[in-house]
Parts: sequence; C-alpha cells; structure tokens
Amino acid sequence: MANPLSMYVPIKQDKDSQKAATDAAKDFVKNVEDGLNASGIVHYAKLVLIPNADGDGTQALFLSTVFDESMREYLRFFWEQPGINIAIQGIAAVAATAPDPPITDLDSFQSFIESVDLEADLYQAYPDTVKQIKAKKS
Amino acid sequence: MDCDPGPEPARSKLQGLIVRGYTHPHSTHMLFRFPGRAAAAAFVKALLPRLQSGADWGAAKPALMLNIGLTFAGVKIATALGSDLNRFPMVFQKGPTSKWSQQTLYDLGDSAPENWWAKNFAPGELHCIVHAYALDETAEKEIVAFIADAATSAGVEELFGTADKSRFTQAQFKDDLIQFGYRDGISNPSLQWPTSGKPFDAGTLDNFVLGYPACTPFSPGPAGDNAAARFAKDGCYNAFRVISQDVAGFETFLDEAAKGVVTTLGMPAAEAREWIAAKIMGRWRNGSPLVLSPDAPDDATRDVKAFVYADDKAGLRCPISAHIRVSNPRDQSVFPANFPAPRLIRRGMPYGPPGLEPGADRGLIGLFLCGALDRQFETVYAWMNQNTFSDVFSPKFNTQDAVVGARARVGVDTQFVAQTAKGEIRCTMPQFLTTRGTAYCLMPSIASIEAIAEQRV
Repeated sequence: MANPLSMYVPIKQDKDSQKAATDAAKDFVKNVEDGLNASGIVHYAKLVLIPNADGDGTQALFLSTVFDESMREYLRFFWEQPGINIAIQGIAAVAATAPDPPITDLDSFQSFIESVDLEADLYQAYPDTVKQIKAKKS
Repeated sequence: MDCDPGPEPARSKLQGLIVRGYTHPHSTHMLFRFPGRAAAAAFVKALLPRLQSGADWGAAKPALMLNIGLTFAGVKIATALGSDLNRFPMVFQKGPTSKWSQQTLYDLGDSAPENWWAKNFAPGELHCIVHAYALDETAEKEIVAFIADAATSAGVEELFGTADKSRFTQAQFKDDLIQFGYRDGISNPSLQWPTSGKPFDAGTLDNFVLGYPACTPFSPGPAGDNAAARFAKDGCYNAFRVISQDVAGFETFLDEAAKGVVTTLGMPAAEAREWIAAKIMGRWRNGSPLVLSPDAPDDATRDVKAFVYADDKAGLRCPISAHIRVSNPRDQSVFPANFPAPRLIRRGMPYGPPGLEPGADRGLIGLFLCGALDRQFETVYAWMNQNTFSDVFSPKFNTQDAVVGARARVGVDTQFVAQTAKGEIRCTMPQFLTTRGTAYCLMPSIASIEAIAEQRV
C-alpha cells in the first residue's frame, strides 16, 4: 500500500524568493531524479507553484509524492542525496514561516518535512510497489 | 571507518538497563502521569536512591533497583526546556500513534492505538515508565511498594494498562523462554565503543547512546549545541511495546502446518511441528540457529551469536522471512537506500500465565532500546511488516516476517515459504500478536534525572 506526502509551503512574496521558487519548480525533476530512482520507493513526485489569488506571483509551493513503505525509513537516504537535500532546503529557504528549528541536520530536515505535510486520502489503482513493477519489467 | 567517535562515556553516567541485560528474574513495569513539574521532580527525587546506573556492581548485585523512562509529554512537563523541545526528533515528539509511525508499525484492528492500554487512558496521558527489577518476589514487592509510595507522596498518578488494572509483571519462565516456547534474548549488540579504522558496526554503543554522532549513520538526536541536546546526552530511547501473544493459536497453527511438512518431507508429526516452529523463527526453540543446525536442535549451538547467511542465500536452511533473519539480516545484502541494517538492544520479558487456557492475557513486555526511534526501531518494524529491504525478496517484495507481520495490511502476501530440497512448504500465517500499547520513552542520563529531581533543567 502506497502513502502520500503532500508538502504545502506558503512562500515569501519578495522578488528573490519568488524567482527562487520558480527556478526550483523548473529544475525539480532534474535535481531529484537520481536520488528518487535510487530509493526504489517513489511512484512519482511533482513540485507545483500555487498562484496567488490575484494571479500575480506564487502563493505557495506544493510538493506531492506517492511512495511505498514508510517515508521515515528513507529520510536518512534522502538527506544524503545532494539533489533532494538541495531541493528541500531550497523550499525551506523561501518558506514564509522559516523552519523551526532551522534545517541543520537530519532531524531538523525531517521535522520540516513532517511539519508541512498535509493530511491526504489516497486512491490507488494498483497494489504494486515500485520495486515489484521494476522486477516484473526486468 | 574514518571518523573519531570521541571518548567513551563512563557507564556510571548511563542508566544500567542500556548497557547490561539484567538477569534479575523479577520485574514490574509501572506507568505514571505527572500533574505538573514539581510533582514530577518530587517523584523522581524519591526514586533516586534505587536508580541503577551502568557502573559495574561487581559481586554486590543489587537485590532491587529501577530505571526511568519519560515520554515526550513527560519531558515537556518535567523540564523547562521550552522552545528547545522542538529539537527532539519528530518521531519522539509525536509518539507511536502518529500517522508517520503507523506507516511502519501498522497497528491495525484490535492492535489499533485507540485500543491501547485497555482504553484505561489515552496514550498521550502516559508520561513516565519506571522499570523495577528484583532478585526475588519479596524484593519485587518492596521495590514496587517503594515506587508506588513515591508516586502517592508526590501526587503522581499511577496508570494501569491492562483490562484488570494490574501492573505489567514479568512471568516466571525457566531458561529465558518466552510464551511461544523459544529461548529469547540470545543475540544483542556488542555495545563496544567504536574503533577508528575498523569497519562500521551497527552494534557499537554510539549507535544507541545520544551525544556521540560522529561515527553512526543513524544520527541519534537531538544534535547540536542546545538545551535539549545537553539534556538528552548519555540517554537512550526505549520503544516500550506490550504485545499479547496468542499461544493457543500458535500451537494450533503448528499442528496444521505440520501436516504439509509430514506430506512433503515424510517426517513424524511431532518432529514436523518443531521443524516448522524453527523455520518461522530461524532458530530451534532451544536457541540453535538454523544456519548452523539445520536438521535438529543442538546444545552446542544454542547460545551461538556469531553466524552469517553467506552460505544460505536462498534460504534453504533459514528461510529468508524467518523472524531472526528479517529483524537482523547480518551479512545479507540490503539495498543502498536501506543500508546499513540497524540493530536494537532488546531487554524484554514475558508476562501473563504460561499455558494455553483461553481468557488470560499473555505475551511480551518489549523494551527495544535505540538511538533513533525511526531509523532503528521503526525501520526494523517496517521490514517485518513488508520484506522490501533486500533483493533476496525479489520479485515479490511483499512477504512479511513469519512471526511479527501485521497480516491485515493491504497488499501483503501472508504466505510463508520454507524452501527444501524436496520442494516448498507453504503456510498462511495467522495474526499471532496484538499490540496492547506502545510508548516512546527517553531514558535520560543519571545526571539529567538528577537535574529533573532538583528542577535544574
């Protein structure tokens, strides 16, 4: 059974933060794909720019993934993947509410992720895990 | 290993339960709720004379002694750490009922957190667990009365986590047996101090005691220079988990599973029962590991801790989903994202009456000590609930630990397979275990407990 991670992070409205958010979304897959592939548990991941109500600029970043097993079991691995680490720290850097505690180690990295994870109900069309799907195709 | 672990902490700084497996035959595990900081301090202060450190007691083995654990709610009440409390790992802050913890523990149905502690109290009300040890029944009564009196005097409320509102008391079994009839507690981490230049060992003490993170990948926390990290230094986490065991169901399962063994392997039924009992555990009931004694239990191997699976990759001797192989894969390869395999310090004991008569609750009082509740304890649980961590499980990746897995979990295969030269033995594994309650506790250093007692922290 897969689980969702739904990180919703309202961001700062200054020009630099807005540009950083746009750049983060544009380069997201390029930055994280090696680490996510190596984890063997992530079905998909996307980083979405949520626009402000007036259509001008970005109100929040929304990182949505569906993964197998438990996220906590793999956070150490993700923390050690440069692309993923940079992507998460990049999101934290533009957050309207700065992470408390600041992200300086694995536990604070984890605290930030868990603190912005929204509750979500997940529909799943198939029961297979990423590892099972890859094993069937190999 | 290219790192400097720093100086080894004096064992007198640590609570004794962390560094030594007590062999006291009597223990009682008492639960408490603090009404406030002053009451917590008074309670802890009253307990100090019997608080046991890890210092060598030589020939003078204490007749009675205790150790103390605090949940995050307990730390919050008993200290003035304030905003630094958020330096503690989320897994400790949120506790075992949280969504993220339940993604690994999968306490479903009767095991669900809403049913824990016989519904006598909510998990968040539990602040402190005192583990009392004694050499005999008289001493046990004395130490339990000592602790109960300390609580009453301090205005601290004792909580009871059983339907009949009794305490969790160690059952008397010979030869380290547990309710399912196996010898337990044979293999535990070495708890030696790491040495530069030697390969990483998940069993060294720095993986379990907080404050020495340089050489361990499990990042025991809180880390850094802050009040929470200073308070937690030389402490250790304890996943306290009370697990009811369906012994009658287990024995019935062996009867049924043995029929397939008799048919396939041509064994007498009694022998077949013990064969399947060994296959699901990975050890014979006397303790002999299957990789060393594949055909029968052997007194010469019953205490052996050092063995590997290199010559048994396919699981012909020890099945790949056998309990001891999943919970401690030893030399078996694990995926890079799962590396290294964690170890746990196990200090558990059986509770409840021996035997099979229905209506009585019996099982295991589990004390699983670690430096990182998620990256050690919960990871092992995740592996037991779904075997995904190694390519030996390919292509299925959805089998479970033969003894511990949550069978009601969606998407798992509850069939256990024992490979033999004459073909596969397959059996569908029932749910033998029900979680009665779980608490994540910090077992603070002796100095931090003294600081609580004097309200200095």
